[in-house]
Amino acid sequence: MLSALLLTVAGSYAQKGEFRGTASYSAAMPLGSFKENVVSKTSFRGVDINLLYGISDKVSVGFTTGYQDFYEKYPRQVYKLSDGSDVSAVISNSVQQIPLLATARYNFMTEGAIRPYALAGIGGNLVLNRQFLGEYTNDNTSRFALSARPELGVFIPFGKESETGINVGAYYNYVRYNKGDIDNMNSVGIRLGIGFPMRN
Amino acid sequence: MKRLLPGIAVMLLIMTGCAKEPLDNLSSDEARLYITNRNDSVSFSSYGTFRITDSVAVISNNQLQEYARTAYDAQLIEAVANQLTQKGYTRVQAGTTPDIGITINRVYNDYSGVISYPDYWGGFGGYWDPFYWGYPGYGYYFPGIIGTYTVTDGAVSIDMFDVKNAAANNNLRFVWNGLIRGSGTFVQGNINSSVQALFDQSPYLTRN
Repeated sequence: MLSALLLTVAGSYAQKGEFRGTASYSAAMPLGSFKENVVSKTSFRGVDINLLYGISDKVSVGFTTGYQDFYEKYPRQVYKLSDGSDVSAVISNSVQQIPLLATARYNFMTEGAIRPYALAGIGGNLVLNRQFLGEYTNDNTSRFALSARPELGVFIPFGKESETGINVGAYYNYVRYNKGDIDNMNSVGIRLGIGFPMRN
Repeated sequence: MKRLLPGIAVMLLIMTGCAKEPLDNLSSDEARLYITNRNDSVSFSSYGTFRITDSVAVISNNQLQEYARTAYDAQLIEAVANQLTQKGYTRVQAGTTPDIGITINRVYNDYSGVISYPDYWGGFGGYWDPFYWGYPGYGYYFPGIIGTYTVTDGAVSIDMFDVKNAAANNNLRFVWNGLIRGSGTFVQGNINSSVQALFDQSPYLTRN
């Protein structure tokens, strides 16, 4: 498949007036009260997709979506409930975040083997937050949470003339979410994918 | 390039797999809950003897069905008696008034839900090429499959009452309750560990 990409794509990196897409695999590590009270484990189940339109060769704007699935099962433990009862349960927390972000990207370089960029997204995340006590649903909340996501990364074209290449980025994902002992659902993530022009 | 997009999307999905489904990742033992409640105003060391009813009440959708003594029920009664004996209480049989009375109930409640499979077909076009039916290039139309199901959720409830002070209190006062709920509750092999869990999380329930 990589060789097919190399054969079909050629030309200089001039994104002005064109759409470019990036499709990535993503992994994210929860932070703060998200990590302490919901899921402490890093999620290796994620997808990130963005579609950007070049308003100049360095600046492009568009949107980002995808999803990240966070999950942790806590070993059996006795919890004190508010009504005074003690419940012994295996607690499972499951959180899915689906970003819907207006995104802007700045390419520091338009040529070279490694081209760094900065990217910023602002908008929201659809957050599905579920908690199970054993096999029983204890919480099932869906919420649209305000979000912001700054990112730094590099684009590595497959060849000198190629407009397609590998895109690697690291980001901070701010997700405003306040409920019980959860103050936010922030995370840091990395993504690895392919950036490509959206034309034949 | 556009033709490659579905390929990239499929590749990403394969790489990430589906979201982890929490309930599929639970063993039967992990699915069960053990819940205990106590009366905060009683001193458990003030009681010396207990008696357990020799059968179990079967309550279905809030209606008493029968009093039963299956092999399961008999083992459950003995498991509770063993725990109380270990905690220093003395078991007495019918004819003697105990300090603590214990009843055991099997509680069943039906509830229904909806199960839907819209994702199976939704937007995916099915797993079979329409060419198979002689209509290449056609899409599939299929509404989400919606079905209803009824499940019975069962629990075992162990209730302890104060018989010793019944006359003074003018009622049989609640002392302690233990509830076993969830997958495998009614499997005989799980009785001892489940009952043990209830007493282990109630360290105050002892004569000493």
